[in-house]
Amino acid sequence: MLHTPLCDLLGIEAPVLQGGMAWIADARLAAAVSNGGGLGIISAMNAGGDYLREQIALCRSLTDRPFGVNIMLMSPHVAEVAQIVAEERVPVVTTGAGSPAAYMPAWLAAGIKVIPVVASVASARMAARAGAHALIAEGMESGGHIGELTTMVLVPQICDAVDIPVIAAGGIADGRGVAASLMLGAVGVQVGTRFLVAEECGVHQVYKDKVLEATDISTVMTGRRFGDTCRCIKNGFARNYLKIEFDPAASADQVANFGVGALRRAAIEGDAKNGCFLAGQCAGMVKTEQPAAEIIRELCDGAERLLKR
Amino acid sequence: MVFEKVAAMLADHVDCDVAEIKMETAFADLGIDSLEVAELVMQLEDEFNCELEMSQNIKTVKDICAVIEAKIA
Repeated sequence: MLHTPLCDLLGIEAPVLQGGMAWIADARLAAAVSNGGGLGIISAMNAGGDYLREQIALCRSLTDRPFGVNIMLMSPHVAEVAQIVAEERVPVVTTGAGSPAAYMPAWLAAGIKVIPVVASVASARMAARAGAHALIAEGMESGGHIGELTTMVLVPQICDAVDIPVIAAGGIADGRGVAASLMLGAVGVQVGTRFLVAEECGVHQVYKDKVLEATDISTVMTGRRFGDTCRCIKNGFARNYLKIEFDPAASADQVANFGVGALRRAAIEGDAKNGCFLAGQCAGMVKTEQPAAEIIRELCDGAERLLKR
Repeated sequence: MVFEKVAAMLADHVDCDVAEIKMETAFADLGIDSLEVAELVMQLEDEFNCELEMSQNIKTVKDICAVIEAKIA
């Protein structure tokens, strides 16, 4: 299988990380990805410590391979979950939505490999300075919370700015994306949307169908007005959100309140109209529900074929 | 001194009159998003020759001035 220095750094077979998607990336999906040779990641989302401990234990019962936990630094429970990953000595932690500098000493002392998700050169340099082992450079093609730059321009600029390994994310759904990422200077990829339809992913079938039926123009960016940009499928919820967002009379709080509970409505309840279905622009390239291990094999084999040409 | 330098840098960054930058001015009011704040913090590190910590709590000119003053005091 495709081998890069990232495989040696993390002790994995394939340089493929599974995105820490809130309400979606649970222990079962993470374990399936890790068993398939990649790095599965559990999302700590906005949940408390008990949920995370339970998920870590479940993941360990399903795989003896390395896995990670994604910590959203704006979570109200961030201090608690940051301590739990250290106590549990989780092999890898990825972070989103801010600078993880405050938690780095405890994580490094616990032997955790820390990989912050960054969307700009300045945040990449700060994370590297704080002691990160690698970075995920996430372009705005991604689903969920995003920056402004595309993967194509972000990855090489971050590769030039830091001396640690860079993992590309955003818009990668097949071997072509993996090969392109390596060409841009990355040593691996993080894939979210394609793993969302993995057989082992427990998200509601309505969510999977939204992704499987998506075309190239099916996603839209919401929240830009208040600097909280998010990419999701353009359904009833997204259209109504945009209406409120660009209503000059609406306040930031009113807009934020409109989004409360929408991820749960999508992922757990499968509410096609009122849920917020986070997905990347590559949703239009995702056509089959298949086992996570098969997805990893296709990503790597496809890239290898292209790189040998 | 810190405020004057920060205000000058911000005014230059967003192309506004330096008089418009007050202690209570929020970055959001200037149309500066969190990615830009990170970049400005790096520039301020060079300006004041110190290492600053990024945090979600840096929202206003006053916040960033306090972080810098704590470092160079």
